[in-house]
Amino acid sequence: MGAFQSSPGQPEYVDLKEKTGFSISQIRVLHTRFKLLGHNGETLKRDHFNSIPDLACNPIRSQIIEAFFDRRNFRQNGEGPVDEIHFEEFLMVMSHFKAPSPRMIEERESVRREKLRFIFNMHDTDDDGTITLEEYRHVIDELLSLTEDLGKDTAKDIADAAMREVASTSMAHMEPDEFFEGITFEHFLKLLKGFEIELKMNVHFSIMDTPTFCK
Amino acid sequence: MELFFNPFDNLVCILLGISLTVWFTLLLVFIIVPAIFGVSFGIRRLYMKTLLKLFEWATLRIERGAKENNHHLHKPYSNAIIAKEPTSFEEEIKEIRRSGSNKDLDSASEFEMSDIFYFTRRGVASIMDDEVTKRFSAEELESWNLLTRSNNNFHYISLRLTVLWGLGLVIRYSFLLPLRVTLAFTGVGLLVFLTCVIGLLPNGRLKNFLSEKVHLMCYRICVRALTAIITYHDSENKPKKGGICVANHTSPIDVIILASDGCYAMVGQIHGGLMGVIQRSMVKACPHIWFERSEVKDRHLVAKRLSDHLEVKTKLPILIFPEGTCINNTSVMMFKKGSFEIGGTVYPVAIKYDPRFGDAFWNSSKFGMVSYLLRMMSSWAIVCSVWYLPPMSREEDEDAVQFANRVKAAIARQGGLVDLLWDGGLKRGKVKETFKEEQQKLYSKMLVGTQEDRSRS
Repeated sequence: MGAFQSSPGQPEYVDLKEKTGFSISQIRVLHTRFKLLGHNGETLKRDHFNSIPDLACNPIRSQIIEAFFDRRNFRQNGEGPVDEIHFEEFLMVMSHFKAPSPRMIEERESVRREKLRFIFNMHDTDDDGTITLEEYRHVIDELLSLTEDLGKDTAKDIADAAMREVASTSMAHMEPDEFFEGITFEHFLKLLKGFEIELKMNVHFSIMDTPTFCK
Repeated sequence: MELFFNPFDNLVCILLGISLTVWFTLLLVFIIVPAIFGVSFGIRRLYMKTLLKLFEWATLRIERGAKENNHHLHKPYSNAIIAKEPTSFEEEIKEIRRSGSNKDLDSASEFEMSDIFYFTRRGVASIMDDEVTKRFSAEELESWNLLTRSNNNFHYISLRLTVLWGLGLVIRYSFLLPLRVTLAFTGVGLLVFLTCVIGLLPNGRLKNFLSEKVHLMCYRICVRALTAIITYHDSENKPKKGGICVANHTSPIDVIILASDGCYAMVGQIHGGLMGVIQRSMVKACPHIWFERSEVKDRHLVAKRLSDHLEVKTKLPILIFPEGTCINNTSVMMFKKGSFEIGGTVYPVAIKYDPRFGDAFWNSSKFGMVSYLLRMMSSWAIVCSVWYLPPMSREEDEDAVQFANRVKAAIARQGGLVDLLWDGGLKRGKVKETFKEEQQKLYSKMLVGTQEDRSRS
């Protein structure tokens, strides 16, 4: 009670800033958020994400939550799921959604690949490097509803049509006797060639990082 | 040796006796007597003004100090972190698709891989910041109010600031806290004792008159025990007999604040311990509505007792907090419709606390009741504004839910709070599966709607 409150040391944040590209104030804000979600614990578990009502409304929330616990998104070349994440890993996953700074035009391609890799990992649930038709269909099913509005047949039709389109684009590049295993990451990139994903898949901070002092 | 100590002991005893007498006389004259008569010397307002000036000075010092040392200042973001893009669901999906393919798409008719992006982005955005979870923790302040508990920026800035902070600590804990605790015990003790005495009288006008006076007096002492500086607005709309008073809920102190300005019949669950003693004695003097724990689940029973109370027009207005739980005073959450179904005139009241002097929000998962009260009593003060809104009644074509939302909107508007549709119960529970299905329905409607157009043509 009598001691001064110790704020997290600057050097930790500087280190995270190097790794993820967020600014110090953005990291602070996210750290507060991390602590709020995890009830001041050191780690976050899957259950903690379930307390966000907006997220509960999202049809693909389980995939999104899985993405946070997927080692492939931690940029450490690991694989497989984990049960809990620390703040650093949380930031790593969040950094996939960072808006690229205008100066990084040259790096645009790598930023693009990174974001698309994230989406790819979200589909590829068994970590084998390809999105099989079952995995793709699973995502579509999550998005569609199973109410009376949309009969089970219509849902199946939509899913089939989408998969046929994907398969045909991929198969055009293959030999006739090759078996269609699934979409590899390279195919995936080709499919989404036209998308400016680096612009579309960002979450913007409304308060830009303006330092309150002048050097 | 003994001779040496005796006169010394005597001296100490005499001094102690004198200071205690002085202490209690001051207490009586400056605090308790005004409380009985409902007048105020204005000491508290002067105190508040002084504190404000002090806080402004402290904030300036911190900012200057941060500049000099090149520290990065952490400004709490009270508004949304994320820039909200005001496009609708359909438009965004169309835009995403348009930017990708070269086809000319008029309608969002088929499933496209890019639709995933939209949902992913929304999902991550809501993980980063959402409207609901942040309401269940205390609001962050923009300036520092010399309490360590509300500070994120405090490094050693200057000697003066540290001295001030230390002085503040000493004053708060060694002077204000004992004073307040004494007052609190006096207030509660008087309440229990006097209401028991009044309970012995036969029912009648004298009893009601006396019980009103006693309740008001004791609540006023409690208000002073918290150093609560309350501004009441629009008192002409004060709740009248036979009506229901609804207010937004931030902490248990809300009850004391409202009840020190008017008499209400309170509604709640009977607790054990000290609370239970207070509740049981209060009900002897004046008909409050207390429920046993088992009765609380039975909604019909609750509704019946409330409406029975309302039938008797001479009974005091009922005080209800329809949110059902404590929210952090930046927003108003869903009002439970039960209180709006029983009929009667509804008198809405908006309560807004000024967080600069002490955060009144009770985070029941973090603090128990006793530690919460101690925190309250060791803050500088509790400053709040109470607005009495004009009475509302349910209209012919409205159902209880719509009426509840109308009242909620009026309260939110007056208090400057955000009006949310979410249920405060989300603090403890999870969102129902039905919500997830809502989004799915929206999306599939969009796909199917256009499918039908195409199959028809």
